[in-house]
Amino acid sequence: MIKNYLKIAWRNLIKNKVFTTANIVGLTLAFTVAILLAMNALFELSYDQFHKNKDSIYQVYASAQTPKGSEIALSKSVPFAPALKEEVPGIKNIARALSTNVLVIYKDKELNLDAEYLDVDYFSIFSFPVVFGNTSKPLQDRNSIAITEKASNKLFGTKDGIGKTVRLKIGKEEKPFSVSAILKDIPNNSSANFDIAIPFENHREYDENKDDWDSRNHSVFLQLEQGVSVEQFEESTVEFSKLHFREEIESRERDGALPDVNGRYVQLSLLSSSDRRFASFATGVVRVQRIFPYMILGIAFLIIFIACANFINMNIALGEKRLKEIGMRKTLGAIKGQLFVQFWLESLLVFMLSIILGFILSNLLLEPFKTLFNSEATLANLMSPTILLGFLLGILAITFIAGGYPALLLSRLNTLNALKGKWEMGKNGLRNVLIVVQFVIAIILISGTLVFQGQIQFMRNKNLGYNKEQVVSIPLNGKKDSYRVIELLRNELQGNRDILSVSGADNNLGRGRDGSASTSVMGFDYKGRGLRTNVQTVDYDFAKTLDLQLVAGRMFSREYSADSLSMVINEAMVKEFNETENPLATRVYFNEDSVAYSVIGVIKDYNFKDVSRKIEPLTLFLDRNYDLYYAYIKVAPTNITESYEAIKRAWQTVEPNAEFIGSFLDENVDRTFRREKTMATIITSGSILGIVLSCIGLFAMSLLVVAQRTKEIGIRKVIGASVSSITLLLTKDFLKLVGVAFVVGTPIAWYALDRWLQEYAFHVPLSMWFFIGAGFLAALIALITVGTRTIKAAAANPVKSLRTE
Amino acid sequence: MLLQLKNIFKWVNSGGQRVFLLKDINLEINEGEFISVMGPSGSGKSTLLNVIGMLDTFDEGEYNFLDESVHNLKEKHRSNLYKEYIGFVFQSYHLLDDLTVQENLEMPLLYKKFKGSERKAMVADMLDRFNIVGKKDLFPSQLSGGQQQLVGVARALIANPKLILADEPTGNLNSQQSEEIMELFKKLNEEDGVTIIQVTHSEKNAAYGSRIINLLDGRKV
Repeated sequence: MIKNYLKIAWRNLIKNKVFTTANIVGLTLAFTVAILLAMNALFELSYDQFHKNKDSIYQVYASAQTPKGSEIALSKSVPFAPALKEEVPGIKNIARALSTNVLVIYKDKELNLDAEYLDVDYFSIFSFPVVFGNTSKPLQDRNSIAITEKASNKLFGTKDGIGKTVRLKIGKEEKPFSVSAILKDIPNNSSANFDIAIPFENHREYDENKDDWDSRNHSVFLQLEQGVSVEQFEESTVEFSKLHFREEIESRERDGALPDVNGRYVQLSLLSSSDRRFASFATGVVRVQRIFPYMILGIAFLIIFIACANFINMNIALGEKRLKEIGMRKTLGAIKGQLFVQFWLESLLVFMLSIILGFILSNLLLEPFKTLFNSEATLANLMSPTILLGFLLGILAITFIAGGYPALLLSRLNTLNALKGKWEMGKNGLRNVLIVVQFVIAIILISGTLVFQGQIQFMRNKNLGYNKEQVVSIPLNGKKDSYRVIELLRNELQGNRDILSVSGADNNLGRGRDGSASTSVMGFDYKGRGLRTNVQTVDYDFAKTLDLQLVAGRMFSREYSADSLSMVINEAMVKEFNETENPLATRVYFNEDSVAYSVIGVIKDYNFKDVSRKIEPLTLFLDRNYDLYYAYIKVAPTNITESYEAIKRAWQTVEPNAEFIGSFLDENVDRTFRREKTMATIITSGSILGIVLSCIGLFAMSLLVVAQRTKEIGIRKVIGASVSSITLLLTKDFLKLVGVAFVVGTPIAWYALDRWLQEYAFHVPLSMWFFIGAGFLAALIALITVGTRTIKAAAANPVKSLRTE
Repeated sequence: MLLQLKNIFKWVNSGGQRVFLLKDINLEINEGEFISVMGPSGSGKSTLLNVIGMLDTFDEGEYNFLDESVHNLKEKHRSNLYKEYIGFVFQSYHLLDDLTVQENLEMPLLYKKFKGSERKAMVADMLDRFNIVGKKDLFPSQLSGGQQQLVGVARALIANPKLILADEPTGNLNSQQSEEIMELFKKLNEEDGVTIIQVTHSEKNAAYGSRIINLLDGRKV
């Protein structure tokens, strides 16, 4: 029986070559892309899921009330974690963690590695297994470190570097450490990512901040004891907060902040470690959003839907050719169930073939996909039993519906009508609905593409307030003192006429090739109010190098010796001070007993953070006690490549052992919206594929419609209709569907994109033209697809078409 | 007695009026009969045949086939009944274009759950009996009309039905071909005892039968 079915199925597929090819190509493409997209999304969703204790691990954060609303603070002070563990019940393990880079020196090798300053309990909380060395206590004492296999290989040329001694550059000193454990490499889907773990006490600011509750620079993670709920824990921290944050609470009350619903000004809360990757804090409350991965999954699903809609439409339409077979089989004793199974098996055949091809193709495309979408995902991420089972069920469900529905329609036909070739189904209803839905999806994806690309162009072209085309920023990853390096670079490049200016700062603009980003925020009292500002330490010539505009006063200058007590602020900070009349008269005492700092200059606001963020208050200091981490070098607009090479050569003279990873600021800015670019690539490819698939379907439908109406076309022509009027007649129906799709799709797309753009402080205006463009494009493509076929039919000799009767 | 129709009515509603397709048909058919149904176009010949073949329903009356009351049966049982006992032959053959002669013959057996080896034997037997062994791997489109109908008859016979229903079996054939088919029917009826009901326009073909039923506007005359 099955053999017979398969034989019939095979011959049928061969007979309808065009449609079979269209279906298999469409479904294969859809499955390929869906597999790749799903892989990417599932990879994102798998972030931090590998920790055995993931359900009881949390990051501690504080939500504090300000007069402008609430704000979230993730950074904690050094005494915080030990005190919390001591005073609040329910904590099984607690650990401080501070991510940074550290220069590791072994013999004549100098490597800049991603480092994490940790308490040893970190390894009891998180699952980062030890391969060699002390498994239970990877950090034996204050002078031992743990490194990953990868780092061990890089440093020592062997995976087992246990017992070796390296020197780390911490602050301005070099200290010896011995390797006491080798960790398995950190998985790609981990939020924490480091090559080397160093005992927390070794951080250069540890000693000075040991008892300081006001300096906060690291994250705190904890594992709750079994049976302790987050609410219980948060409730039991209330007394702790009252005790340790007393001053802070008082000053917030004084500044006019409104307490939260529980009447509190500072509340400690827990963020589940599984949510870490998806949490955003921009609005002052923690928002956990997995929208990107789910959007990608959604696109994968939509693409499969489009391909399946094609399949259903073509199968129903082709069913007409098989009415005789259905009737005959019924006459010979086939019952409904048997016919259903037969037709369903045929569908299954096509689906299985497409899925297998899809898997092969997605494997082949894996590498380019990973580069294009900037993803670390692999098929291995999909190999968990739950996902495989879900995938299998999903595919079964899809084949069951897409293959089963036409099968059901066909098997239900009345025997006699089938024999006579009569089809009494209102089939065009479903067909039209499916085509409309396809084009709704296509229009949403196209307008999404246009808006995403528009936003990216907007962010790329936006005037950020500094010169990003002519400035190279170099992470200072060498051994020498940073001020010395910048001075040496200045000297080295002095004679070069294309090098205009050299400066430095402790923070980068955009995201450099070192991938680091950091923020320093300082709070202080000014005229009885608590103010907050971003802080940066800069070198001389900072404004000159970056083309920052001075609004009032002056920048730091070598001619004034007291500039280490001077501040340059941006306009947003002027507003924060509320000294718009005469900002240059502002004097600040940061600590009650210390000296006064005075504002010497005001610079125009510039985007010192990501383009998506509002411009916050910023204060620049010139203070040689604080290191610089980046050098900025401005080059002339001509000979840019030569200048870059000259800078590189200068760097190699100054820091021969450190890798040069300088980059132009516009590259850095581009890197900050990598996520948007990835999403735009995905949506663009999704919409191109969606359109291609919809057109395959539309083309097939137009073939069938033309075939169905051959006689009508013939008669009309004999009566005297022109080619154009017949083409219009045949094309009109399809264009109407695209029109309906436009009306349905636009509001959905508008709503979704409007919400998405709200996430950006600076965004492109959501103009109607995006949607009109998308609709027009969809209509044009549909017209071309259907038109080619219909013109041919309309131009055919009517005698021929009438002869088919 | 093979089957019995009692006061069978069948109608459609057209413009608020009942148009009768079959009107008060009473008919008894015994095993071994060869019946020709005649009448002008639209007199209800094919409808009657379809009702007898259980492909079509009726609105009033009783229909007993062997000992079963067809009017009380569910579709599935009806389908079991006719696939067991009835074979159909059509004017336009209705062979499946995608299957070879051999496979076309095999198909009714698939729906009757015969084993593979049995099916092979039965098909081989039938090919032999109709002298079409040489054509077993050809597709219907490669055969002449007469040969196609030969396969059609063979397919109707393969599961040893008690009754063969033939709706203008020679309608698409030339005179020589139709004579061959009619001779075949006669032989089947006389030698194998198969009951045959045929619908025909031709007096000559009708003469092969043992009894003629004339229909006019849905009534037996």
